[in-house]
Amino acid sequence: MKKRFPSWTVGLLGILLLILVPVIYYLPRTQASNDPASHLPIKPVHVDHKDIVKGEFKTGQDVTRACLECHKDAATELMKTTHWTWESKAFDVPWRTEPVTIGKINQINNFCIGSQGNENKCMSCHAGYGWEQGKETQQANPENVDCLACHADSGSYGKGLFGNPADGIDLLAAAQSVRAPTRENCGKCHFDGGGGNGVKHGDLDESLYFPDKNLDIHMGSDLNMQCTDCHVTKDHQILGRMLADNYTIDPKEQVSCEQCHVNQKHEDERINTHLSAVACQTCHIPAIALEDPTKVTWDWSQAGQEGRTDDHFTYLKIKGEFVYDKNFAPTYLWFNGNNEYRYILGDPLGKDGITYINKPAGSIEDSTAKIFPFKLHIAKQPYDVKNNYLLQPVTSGKDGFWTTFDWNSAFKLAEPITGLKYSGEYGFTETYMYWTTTHMVQSADKALQCDSCHGESGRMDWTALGYPGDPIQWGGR
Amino acid sequence: MKKYSYMIFAGLLILSLAVGIGTALAAPKPDSAAQASTLHPDFKLLDQDGVNVLESRNAVSTMKTCGQCHDTTFIASHAFHSDLGLSDYNAKSDSLDTSNGLFGQWNPLTYRYLSPAGDERLDLSTAEWLMTNGERVVGGGPATTSRAGKSLSDVTPSATNPESAILGQDGKVSAWDWNKSGTMEMNCFLCHLETPDTAARADAIHAGEFGNANTATLFGLNIVESSIDGFVWNAEAFNENGELISDALGIQDPTNANCATCHGEVHPNSGDPLTVNQCDVNSPQTATTGQVVSGQRISASGMNLANKDELDRSWDIHAERELQCTDCHYALNNPARASELQGSNPEHLVYDPRTLDINEYLQRPDHNFARGQSAQYNVAPDFKGTMRRCENCHDADKGHADWLPSIKTHMDAVACETCHIPQMYAPAIQSYDWTVITPAGQPVESCRGVDGKPNNIISLVTGYTPVLLNRTNIDGETLLAPYNLITSFYWVYDDANGKRPVRLVDLESAFLENGNYASDIVAAFDANNDGKLSSKELVIDSSAKEDVVKGKLAALGLNNLSIEGMVQPYSINHNVTRGENAVNDCKSCHGADSRMTQPIKLADNAPVMPVFDIGNNVNGTGEIVKGEDGALYYQPNPSKDKLYVFGSSRVNWIDWLGALMFAASLLGVITHGTMRYFSSKKQPRGEKRTERIYMYESYRRFWHWLQTITIVILLFTGLIIHRPDIFGAFSFRGVVTVHNVLAVILVLNAALSLFYHITTERIREFIPHPYGFFDDAIVQAKYYIGGIFKGEGHPFEKLPTSRMNPIQKATYFMILNVLLPLQIITGALMWSVQKFPQFANALGGLPMLAPFHSLVAWLFATFILVHVYMTTTGATPLEAMRGMVTGYEEVEVHEKKDEG
Repeated sequence: MKKRFPSWTVGLLGILLLILVPVIYYLPRTQASNDPASHLPIKPVHVDHKDIVKGEFKTGQDVTRACLECHKDAATELMKTTHWTWESKAFDVPWRTEPVTIGKINQINNFCIGSQGNENKCMSCHAGYGWEQGKETQQANPENVDCLACHADSGSYGKGLFGNPADGIDLLAAAQSVRAPTRENCGKCHFDGGGGNGVKHGDLDESLYFPDKNLDIHMGSDLNMQCTDCHVTKDHQILGRMLADNYTIDPKEQVSCEQCHVNQKHEDERINTHLSAVACQTCHIPAIALEDPTKVTWDWSQAGQEGRTDDHFTYLKIKGEFVYDKNFAPTYLWFNGNNEYRYILGDPLGKDGITYINKPAGSIEDSTAKIFPFKLHIAKQPYDVKNNYLLQPVTSGKDGFWTTFDWNSAFKLAEPITGLKYSGEYGFTETYMYWTTTHMVQSADKALQCDSCHGESGRMDWTALGYPGDPIQWGGR
Repeated sequence: MKKYSYMIFAGLLILSLAVGIGTALAAPKPDSAAQASTLHPDFKLLDQDGVNVLESRNAVSTMKTCGQCHDTTFIASHAFHSDLGLSDYNAKSDSLDTSNGLFGQWNPLTYRYLSPAGDERLDLSTAEWLMTNGERVVGGGPATTSRAGKSLSDVTPSATNPESAILGQDGKVSAWDWNKSGTMEMNCFLCHLETPDTAARADAIHAGEFGNANTATLFGLNIVESSIDGFVWNAEAFNENGELISDALGIQDPTNANCATCHGEVHPNSGDPLTVNQCDVNSPQTATTGQVVSGQRISASGMNLANKDELDRSWDIHAERELQCTDCHYALNNPARASELQGSNPEHLVYDPRTLDINEYLQRPDHNFARGQSAQYNVAPDFKGTMRRCENCHDADKGHADWLPSIKTHMDAVACETCHIPQMYAPAIQSYDWTVITPAGQPVESCRGVDGKPNNIISLVTGYTPVLLNRTNIDGETLLAPYNLITSFYWVYDDANGKRPVRLVDLESAFLENGNYASDIVAAFDANNDGKLSSKELVIDSSAKEDVVKGKLAALGLNNLSIEGMVQPYSINHNVTRGENAVNDCKSCHGADSRMTQPIKLADNAPVMPVFDIGNNVNGTGEIVKGEDGALYYQPNPSKDKLYVFGSSRVNWIDWLGALMFAASLLGVITHGTMRYFSSKKQPRGEKRTERIYMYESYRRFWHWLQTITIVILLFTGLIIHRPDIFGAFSFRGVVTVHNVLAVILVLNAALSLFYHITTERIREFIPHPYGFFDDAIVQAKYYIGGIFKGEGHPFEKLPTSRMNPIQKATYFMILNVLLPLQIITGALMWSVQKFPQFANALGGLPMLAPFHSLVAWLFATFILVHVYMTTTGATPLEAMRGMVTGYEEVEVHEKKDEG
């Protein structure tokens, strides 16, 4: 038998192993890079629908029918989402005997108050058509699903009354422009929610259409990230839940920084010791509404004044008085991802003069909670003096408050719709609503520094957070 | 009056409403910034005579007032901030310094000279010293006490006594009456109030109203105002017992802002972008070094800084992390700092609980604060090195464990600041030339770290890299640390008491006439003849100019005039940054452009070669050289500080010698080889008879080739460590690791092989036999220089039991008994520096060992070259090598010799 390799090759191999093994063992290693961008979802290649979609389309429903010819499950998928139902699953809440649902469809917020009875206006942000048919009929029909709202080039499409396409829209052109949703599609409703640019969120506004990296490191960097890069979408189910429209949120349904920033630690050990008590957002979103101002107070009690000049940022006769603010520090609260309380229609007013529309859950004792930045929106909303609950007026339409400026009739009109009795006596009370601050993320070099929170000029109210004093001196939890 | 209070009431109402609405409608606001002590009781303000100022309407006496509870006599006598060198005052003829502090130490930056008694010409009297420096003098010490220890108010006014005289603008000396001006007690308010009125205090001091300075510190707090007839104390600030309501005062531990009043730029992180009054000696720490104490990001500063956007680190990490000056520079008997004070405990005692009680401490807080070992502050030398330093809080071993090799070696040679203060981002003074003056009576200044004039909005601030100098700590340890070097030039003359700097008044009379340059000065300095002196022309760069100035000064009656120059180091200890922004690339020091050897510019022009100031703990072992651009540079020389930096340091003659040996051998090999080649062509082929012999068994081959590979890689990695600048592609750290690992393999392999050779007795083969050795060696040598070219056979037979000829034996004997052990020992010692430096140091430390290691490495390289060549002298050129691979070698068959 002839040897395949001469015996000295074995010796050579042994020598090389003897040298290489210890050298490789001791050689200084650099940490394998963990590029967050590698965790971004991979999206399908865009298919140009220009030659696929033919028409002719008279109504939005015509377009949907055409879409469904190929995308057969699209409508049924969408109809399972809150973009369609505007309503959460049912929650058991401690202050009610029956389970409740929360959503724009049946509850109130701190801005335009409530959508019930105001469908002709409010539904311009609903992903469906045909609200003039009434809720039951509208919700039952898959053809009412508005594919274009999210998929058409937003420059070629817009919505009007009752969720239907606005007058004068070229539906064929809109349908031919369809693609995966961009920031423009989401922004149409989410940047302008509450009746205008930046009204509601503070961390979402039209400045994010063309962000630079100083505005938001994710959307403004070279990655040019789109909403769906974090709000990962499968079968039209979009990841991420609105705090105000839920009572508790399953973390699996929520967007988190760790989706991409997997096992990423700060180089600075001192910063890492914060991670059990401080959310990423707290340091990396030092300020709210960096470019466009957002509404921080809204006083409905001033609405309807005759002869006062309208100004978008301070007073509108139909809406009352506002204060807008920009580039301001958030309000910090312990937050475990859920609400401690969410106002349900019919709930009594708060005892200390403040009624919380929602109140984030968490405290220094809650080990799952972290200090989290919020935009606090304070409003003065109408309530029923005798029944001691908040009222939801009908504002839009020819008999609504915006036309008649008569609160009594607006409340009366809402009675059969909301089911809430109106005693005939109303007043205004302060209502607080907390909005999570999660966008307009800043890179490390613009994030908060130690003395932003600690020390004499720090921004944290430590005692309000439950600490005996500044944890830099008194210790953390 | 009533109307006025209504207005206040209305104003307050509106304010409270606004605040109320604000709090109701806005997010919760952070706590107010007030941190003043709420524990401090209300107290009477007493005047010099111990009478309540409400009654006497006099100036307040801090010693009397605070002395009601605190032992102010103890405090004032235990405070180098107050003493300022007075207790060390001793005028000597051989030195310009009369003390070790602000009161008497010659400082070419502030220039004016505190005249000792008996000087012919009065420069600064004590009174004028206080007027010019008083803003940064806390009081007490020389502000209340004469050099002989009397109270200044007891010193009789006299124009001939520098303690009670003053030099007028006109150059005339008159008497100074301390009873009229008052003296300046140690000012507790200056450091212990939240908002002392430093401006009003400075005004009082500049006006020579020293007795009012402490009271002026309370202006702006609604407590006291000055009026034509004395002070008006605001009764509303006092309670019904005539005690000052202490809340109004805001009494507190000294904050960074308090320290900043005298020391340098301190800036809170909040809001306003930081700007620095560049190179302004009134904030000395910043002016002399560029140190800025601020937690603000440099990128957020308001200065026109180069590459500002990228500078997202804070000015000072400790300020960013909310440390206060007093956290490191604390009162030495503060019981809260007891653990630091226990260095003098017996070794077995970890903690001594017998500390001061807090009330005892509050009564007598030691105001000799913990201090470092800076080069520029020499007052109270007994307290040098008492402060909390980096290592008191940080564990460098743990902090650097994940990346820095030889941590101990580094920490023993390099101060933390060297890497953690890699760059200064604010400008600092570079030179002060007092040999000429501007029409405003200022020196010609230059500022480093700024492109253009300092404080000009269009000048780009570039910052500068500190120079690294070796300093000797009080414990005798020497460390490399960062410094700024400030060079000053000035005229000196001989006064009755010895050498003195020429007074500013005399310079002004020599240079100026009615506020403009004198015509003969213009004539001498005006190079372009435009009748004006530009800043470029205003320099003494020729003996002609020097003579003109010297002549004019001599005409004023100054004797023995000459120009002196001094280079002074200024320590840089603040502006620390975290590891990620620190120097963390090995090559920044271990390479051709090592930071350790980087020169620093001293001055654009040098009227005279300056000398390095020796009155400090810095070893100026480098050279002051004139660069090609005519400017003056300081060139550090680490080797003079017993530092050997791999990759940067090298001993040139050793490299030359080594290279020469190697080159000579190479030349020899090539010549010999060429001759063999040509001679072999003349020889008939295949004449010699050979046979195949199992020459090398497997273990021999194994250890040989293992050693071969290790040595070759060791030589190569060693070369990279020696000259990393040539091999830029390699990671210095990785190469060092490979070198160390291979060294261990080499030693193990050698040891095992030695064991093998001893136990098998094969070691005999390596031992040259003395009998007939030289004869045999000559035979072998003759073969190499003669026989080999004639095709003769090898004189000695190569057998498995005797493979080596006599020369070979001798060579290996040397290699294995001398070179290899030497290389192993020097290498191991160099490595051991990080663990047991005493062994290496006993042999001269790295500066001795490292060049030796290099020399032996050159010898090894030479050996390998010759060794490889010699293997080609076998039966065929590659036969020996094949033998070492396969074990079998064709060797010449030697006929059995008859006599054998």
